[in-house]
Amino acid sequence: MRLGIPLALAAMGEAVAERSGVINIGVEGSIIAGALGGALGSIWFGVAGPGVVAGALAGASVALVFAAFAIGLGTDQIITGTAVTLGGLGITAAIYQARFGATGTALTLPTLDAGRIPVLSEIPWVGSALFAQAPTAYLAYVLAPALWYFLFRTEWGLELRAAGEDPDAAAAAGVRVRWARFWATILGGALAGVAGAHLALAHAGTFAENMSAGRGFIAIAVVVLGRWNPLLVLLAALLFGAASALQFLLQAIGWDLPYQLFLALPYLLTLAALAGWVGRAHAPASLALPWPKEEFRG
Amino acid sequence: MVARLPRRSRGPLAIGALAVVTTVVLAGVVLVLGGYDPGRAAGAMWRGAAGSPSAFFSVTLVRAVPLVLTGLAVAIAFRSGIWNIGAEGQLYAGAIAGAWVGLNVGGLPAVLAVPAVLGASAVGGALWALLPAVMRIRLGVGEVITTILMNFVGLHLASYVVRGPLQEARGVFPQTDSIAEAARLGVMVPGTRLHWGFALAVLLAAGAAFVHGRTRMGFRMHAVGASPGAARVAGRIDTGRVWTGAFLSSGAIAGVAGGVEVAGVTFALYEGLSPGWGYTAIAVALLAGLSPVGVLATGTLFGALEGGASAMQREAGVPSAWVGVVQALAILSVIALDRLRRRDEGGLLSRASGGGATPGAPPGPAASMAPPRSPPEPPARGATGG
Amino acid sequence: MTTPRVRMSGIVRRFGSVTALDGADLELRDGEVHGVLGENGAGKTTLLSILAGMLEPDEGRVEIAGKPVSLRSPRDAWAHGVGMVHQHFKLVPALTVLENLSLGLRTAGGGAGLPYRTVRARVAELERETGLHVALDRTVSELSVGARQRVEILKALLREPRILVMDEPTAVLTPDEAEALFELLRGLARDGCAVALVAHKLDEVMGVSDRLTVLRRGRTVRTGPRGEVGAEELVRAMVGEGRGADGGRTTDGGRPAVGGVSGQGASRAGGPRPIVAELAAVGVRGVHGTWAVRDASLEVRRGEIVGIAGVEGNGQRELALLLSGRLPPDTGRARLPSGAGFVPQDRTTEGLIGAFDLVENVALALHDRDEGGPWLMPWAEARRRAEEIRSAYGVQSRDVEVRASALSGGNQQRLVVGRELGRARNLLVAENPTRGLDIAATAFVRGELSRRVGGSSGADEPGVERPGIVLISSDLDEVLALADRVFVMVRGRLVPVPESRLSREGIGAMMLGAPA
Repeated sequence: MRLGIPLALAAMGEAVAERSGVINIGVEGSIIAGALGGALGSIWFGVAGPGVVAGALAGASVALVFAAFAIGLGTDQIITGTAVTLGGLGITAAIYQARFGATGTALTLPTLDAGRIPVLSEIPWVGSALFAQAPTAYLAYVLAPALWYFLFRTEWGLELRAAGEDPDAAAAAGVRVRWARFWATILGGALAGVAGAHLALAHAGTFAENMSAGRGFIAIAVVVLGRWNPLLVLLAALLFGAASALQFLLQAIGWDLPYQLFLALPYLLTLAALAGWVGRAHAPASLALPWPKEEFRG
Repeated sequence: MVARLPRRSRGPLAIGALAVVTTVVLAGVVLVLGGYDPGRAAGAMWRGAAGSPSAFFSVTLVRAVPLVLTGLAVAIAFRSGIWNIGAEGQLYAGAIAGAWVGLNVGGLPAVLAVPAVLGASAVGGALWALLPAVMRIRLGVGEVITTILMNFVGLHLASYVVRGPLQEARGVFPQTDSIAEAARLGVMVPGTRLHWGFALAVLLAAGAAFVHGRTRMGFRMHAVGASPGAARVAGRIDTGRVWTGAFLSSGAIAGVAGGVEVAGVTFALYEGLSPGWGYTAIAVALLAGLSPVGVLATGTLFGALEGGASAMQREAGVPSAWVGVVQALAILSVIALDRLRRRDEGGLLSRASGGGATPGAPPGPAASMAPPRSPPEPPARGATGG
Repeated sequence: MTTPRVRMSGIVRRFGSVTALDGADLELRDGEVHGVLGENGAGKTTLLSILAGMLEPDEGRVEIAGKPVSLRSPRDAWAHGVGMVHQHFKLVPALTVLENLSLGLRTAGGGAGLPYRTVRARVAELERETGLHVALDRTVSELSVGARQRVEILKALLREPRILVMDEPTAVLTPDEAEALFELLRGLARDGCAVALVAHKLDEVMGVSDRLTVLRRGRTVRTGPRGEVGAEELVRAMVGEGRGADGGRTTDGGRPAVGGVSGQGASRAGGPRPIVAELAAVGVRGVHGTWAVRDASLEVRRGEIVGIAGVEGNGQRELALLLSGRLPPDTGRARLPSGAGFVPQDRTTEGLIGAFDLVENVALALHDRDEGGPWLMPWAEARRRAEEIRSAYGVQSRDVEVRASALSGGNQQRLVVGRELGRARNLLVAENPTRGLDIAATAFVRGELSRRVGGSSGADEPGVERPGIVLISSDLDEVLALADRVFVMVRGRLVPVPESRLSREGIGAMMLGAPA
């Protein structure tokens, strides 16, 4: 279950961004930046808490670069996202190598301790899994309904969704499309940064190069699974966490399957989900299309 | 018969060149900000990459081979409008298939063994592209995500294979035994490590250039990539067939990249065979303007970058991971410059926009994310005025 | 004289190298319907988009109620009481009508809530006042074109505009629906609104407007009360001096022109021609699985133009794709020739590849032909054809290596028509072929279509096969001018038009479903 939390955070942020019409593959870069930011922040302050904030800022900065190119200039979102991820992974590895040397000893970080919620954490089976977690997990639980409310019960949310469906119509109705997309993307990056900080500070207790391990890409798939709805996205992410945990369960039962199968399982599941479900889920119609479109002649 | 280089091709080439310059400048700035000496770094990199014949042949060109091959794979796909981000997984699939054959063809003469290995790796790579292809063409699922997911599956598959069925006889390390002598690619330039895979890469690039410029198939692929709608209606081209062909040939070439690496350099398969060539290939292809001949140039350039990276780390203290940053800068430079150029030009069609072979031009990879459409392509929505 | 509600003077607006407006003026007064006329490309939409705050002028002044204003966004325009009903609806298909109407209103506490109750109440009021009825909870994508326009109008009215701009509202309406709309506009004007009506269909505009302004090539060339300016004068103003009858055909509407430019029709000698295409009870499914074409039967013979009229969205698209062989029938039998030419209505996304030059675009028709061997592209042949088309069809470009996206709309269409007529040995399907073209290009295209079926020469030229042409067009005048036989397409059915009904009024009634 713990594995699902960073996914949930990153995916919810990405869902908001995608609702506004932006697909940010650079979220992987935001996650790893958040991990490094979390690590550096917690070392600097000596406590894990500020590390989370630093992680959020780092993730948001990466998203800022992405937004500058993809929203500001209007470059292709997929290619830009790929570049940002490549750059993010490279720069975090480089900074890590430079500051902490390729010594081989893992960094130890002040960790985010789990906080048990009384009563709720006593629920059998899921109680301790869901409610005895680091504070960032609780953040995820709170964010899901909050983001849902924002998207579907406020005018800002309506404008954001309109920007993602039909930016021309939205603009004609007075919506500031690029502005909405910009902020949605930054939010997505910040949340991904928190996810990365969670990885470093609550999950692993250390930083390692490329520790994001593709979670950013999985988050994109989780958004599809969750039909761009924050509540469902949270559920889908937790499901993914459960799937990873499945490998331990099955090993305990004694099935002698190669562990790589379980590592690969989430990806295969996502593929299956995309194949089966995507016809019913409806992506924001203007997802990934730059706006404004190039000038129409005459 | 002169190869056609119409006036409009000059645009993308100029962009590529300008992007290289921009990248170099920006990389220098970043290095300075990091407290390093860009001059020393550049010098170290130069020495590591081309300072001596041994460096050039054994390091740069050897490193260039997988980059050129995967770059070709990516360029072929991109040019047809297929955004294949899965070259990495296809490479591994090809490496696995090639290694398996290579371990089992000891009895055959080289003349049969080598093609067997390469053929197997092509098939492996193509197979790896098959699932995303089917999902895109039959189900309308954007291939960007599916190919990325297949990358991870491929990585895990390789990890499993080298610890399980194909593991070396000793059973100690996660790697295969060395492949049969007969299956290995010989050395092309005596005294260096440069193997015949390089010649193969050049040959494939020339072949791809020929197909693109002079054959019907190549024209169709280009048309579909530039505007599937017009290709379908005006050209009566079966876009499904073209896309399938692009997917499979792209996967096959990426698979060959894996097979060549196994047969020419490592002679065995192990985890981490590829330091992300499949992703670097995107930068290689984009910088080259998706032109096969350009890929030869940019692939070599990136080979030099990688080759010089370890020298750079040793001599100038710059962590080798900076290469990733440089690659990212390269991609961003290309697409930013391309976008700026097209903004300048007046009179563009709103969708089938200009840009020759540059990416992000007509429907970029992002457009394949649009809600899936079921084949055959249904007619456009109703009332659009003039 | 009272100050006009709106005065725009000396407006200049460029798009890259194209000057859309070159010193245009416009005055709108309270209580009147003001018709803004001009051919396609004259700058009407651009000028009014500036008034609606969607574009900013490069030069010139806009005054509202006598005071100069700077309209930087649609919100600024609303603040000054300008409401616009767009030609291409600005509605979000995936959202409901209620959501679309509420979008951007910002009434409920600045964005943190939703103004649905207020909107519902206002819509109910407006329904009573104007008779416009919409289903608030349906998704826009489910609505018919007419219903969407009602939503679009309500959207503008919700903001209580003093100035209402309507951009080409009748393009997608039947003649009856258009009349209802004009009645609404007159009513709004009577209530004190300043209404601007943009159109290029002369007769419609003249019927409803109190004053008129004509734009040509980005400038205001004539303005005045309706009584003062006659139809002929207006046409001359729109197309300029020295243009002949070609201009008259398109803008003169109302005159039932049967038979075609060259007087074809029953007067052709020589007996029945061979059939080149035949449909028998053909049905085609459309995008949403519903039947777009139902039980359609049709024969096309060599050397004739079959015209298919009708309001857009009644299945013409599917029929066009079917006839040209791009889409198979789902039921019924279709006998179609190979190599049919097709001039699609959307040349930018279906007819041409903007990134390709002329040679490559022509090659689109050649890549599956036999010349040049099975594997290699016949580039030499493509180049030759491109040169031919360029000179024969008057495509203005530096040479054949110019990118198609750099050509003007008229030249692009010339290229497409040239290419398609070249490959159409038996059948050519033309879908709204003159949409978006200027007068000269329109006349040219129509002339070419006529000529190809054996127009003015009359007699058969030996050795030159004349194809049959199916002309699908939502421009009634065009169909009446060119076709030998006319059908009307209503809700997917092809209904032949008998001689007795061959007029605008007659066909208009049929488009609504009146029995033949």
